Amino acid sequence: MRILLVEDEPRLLRSLARALREEGYAVDTAADGEEGLYMAKNCDYNAVVLDVMLPRLDGWQVLEGLRQHKQTPVLMLTARDAPRDRVRGLDTGADDYLVKPFDLSELLARLRALIRRSAGQARPVLEVGEVLLDTRARLVSHKGKAVTLTPREYAILEYLALHRGEVVTRTELYEHLFDDSDDSLSNLLDVHVFSIRKKLGAELIATRRGVGYCVRA
Amino acid sequence: MVTKSIRWRLQLWLAFLLVCILSGFGVTAYQLHRTNLLRQIDEDLQRRVTALTADVRGIPPHFGGGPKRPQFEPAPGGNPMNDGFGPPPKGPRFEGGRGGPGKRRFEPDGMEGRGFPDTGPERREILISAQTQRLFDDVETNGFYYAVWSRSGSLLKRSTNLPPEVFRPQRSDLAMTIETRTGLERREAYLFTEIGECALAGRSIAGDLAELRGFGWWLLAAGVAVLAVGLGGGWLATSRAIRPIEDIGAAASRISAGNLSERINVTDTDSELGRLAGVLNSTFARLDAAFAQQRQFTADASHELRTPLAVIISEAQSILARERSPAEYRETIETCLETAQQMRRLTESLLELARFDGGQEAIERVPCDLAERARASVELIRPLARRRHIGIECDLAPVETLGDPDRLGQVLTNLLSNAVAYNKDAGRIVVSTRVASGSAVLTVADTGPGIAAEDLPHVFKRFYRADKARARADGHAGLGLAICKAVIEAHGGVIEAASPPGGGAVFTVRLPLR
Repeated sequence: MRILLVEDEPRLLRSLARALREEGYAVDTAADGEEGLYMAKNCDYNAVVLDVMLPRLDGWQVLEGLRQHKQTPVLMLTARDAPRDRVRGLDTGADDYLVKPFDLSELLARLRALIRRSAGQARPVLEVGEVLLDTRARLVSHKGKAVTLTPREYAILEYLALHRGEVVTRTELYEHLFDDSDDSLSNLLDVHVFSIRKKLGAELIATRRGVGYCVRA
Repeated sequence: MVTKSIRWRLQLWLAFLLVCILSGFGVTAYQLHRTNLLRQIDEDLQRRVTALTADVRGIPPHFGGGPKRPQFEPAPGGNPMNDGFGPPPKGPRFEGGRGGPGKRRFEPDGMEGRGFPDTGPERREILISAQTQRLFDDVETNGFYYAVWSRSGSLLKRSTNLPPEVFRPQRSDLAMTIETRTGLERREAYLFTEIGECALAGRSIAGDLAELRGFGWWLLAAGVAVLAVGLGGGWLATSRAIRPIEDIGAAASRISAGNLSERINVTDTDSELGRLAGVLNSTFARLDAAFAQQRQFTADASHELRTPLAVIISEAQSILARERSPAEYRETIETCLETAQQMRRLTESLLELARFDGGQEAIERVPCDLAERARASVELIRPLARRRHIGIECDLAPVETLGDPDRLGQVLTNLLSNAVAYNKDAGRIVVSTRVASGSAVLTVADTGPGIAAEDLPHVFKRFYRADKARARADGHAGLGLAICKAVIEAHGGVIEAASPPGGGAVFTVRLPLR
């Protein structure tokens, strides 16, 4: 899952980016509205975390600009907690709204929910054959037994499971799972897929040669 | 409750005044009418008495000389009084001897010895002339009656319609004047002749009194009608006059209920109350603006405090999510500390501004040299400037002003650190003090990019940041210049910002001279 984080307070940006990466998300960051809008328009993010008070373009303007092109789920962060502001945020096209200071765990839960909903999966537990993915705890079990995956492996499996029945191209996977800060060695998709197959069975992920991967419906 | 209401008090006063005026007017009109009516009757009666007296005397009336003989006209063709009986002037015919001296007791004292000391005939025939008779004609006239009594009180002559209860009047004095009296629904005039005979003409005034009563009732009805109209009009007028007050009251209570955007609906701007409403509206508008400013300030302040709080919470929660290396803990704690220090600075600034707003910030006023304060601040800032190779030039003429040296130093340091922060590397800062047009003037000019024209009017506003991203990165909340402004204004001075076309920003402080 690839997330764009737009926040002008550098310490908060750093802190949130670290927390999200530790959760297995690929995180891109922008420190002002203009940059944020540019990035959000030109890349398919699974979600955008957007601060309201931003230099150059504020959060509302970014949201309006983005909504003309994309339906990327947007979670607004703001220090204003008047109901008027929340209503405005949701009416402008924000998918969720969080008031500063917030709980990190709440931010993560809301992000998970946003991403699930945008993939058309309302339930937090994904079921693919005999494999169960609990997106809340990021746990995977195979035939009732817990299986340990690396964060990267989990991210690939979760993405494929959320888009099951579809062929997901390698480019798409790269775009959604790796951010600009990742080094290239860890990006070897085939290595990760091989590892997943070893843990959960070879038939779980099918390879469409020259196109990408697919988890059967 | 009713007596407390202005409307009712006005109404009661109006009612009181109207009743006074109307009853005064009504009583006067009634009396006037009554007097006129009686005078008319009296005149009629006097004319008849005069004619009657003349007949009683048997001489033309001018002999006896009644005081008033209005409308008396002798009948044409000589002296009608002499026609029938022609009594000698001093010898009225006497008839009958009834009564006699014994009845003299009816006479007032001193009657004897006057013109007719002899015992006058108690009964004699009195001839009433036709003309006089006509005056008492029952049909033609209005129920006039007459009676003539002898000196001793016996009835000498009477008209047929004389009411039985009419008695001979008492002679009150010796003057030969026509007197009047009023009995039960009767008005009578009488005259005593020289010899003590009494001629009386009377008339029932029942009809007149009834008419008078009718007039009285009419007056009463008219008075009540006028009173009702007056009170109704008064009610309408007071209601109209009071309605703006009620509008004002309603608007004021809505405003006190918390809706500061409420205004009084002013329809009539020229009346006193309309002007009052206008004044109140402008007061409400100022209050509203002040509250809006306060709300904005509070919202901004809460925003500025929430963001660092979010940093601390998210840092702490993320670091606690798993085991970390000591270096990571250290980094996180440093971030939290840095953020907490930022919050501390912010709260201090907020409290300072709040104290200035509340007028609680005591400003010391001691003589101090602005140049000396500037020199001290420059020395404080110089290490900071040196790091970015910024040179500070001083052009400091001694300027004596009254003020708080620490506060003025705070302003100077603030302006200088801004000049450093917003300068270019290896730039210049020029600090000067001088006396110009009766003020102590201090300027701080830098060689930075200057202030954009659209930002210039706002730089002293709270939480306003021309370059938001950069200011945030430096940990500046945008309160420094607002505090400078508050300090300088508390000293009775002004602070201005300018950005000349050549680039750079110039801050000018003007303070009163000592």
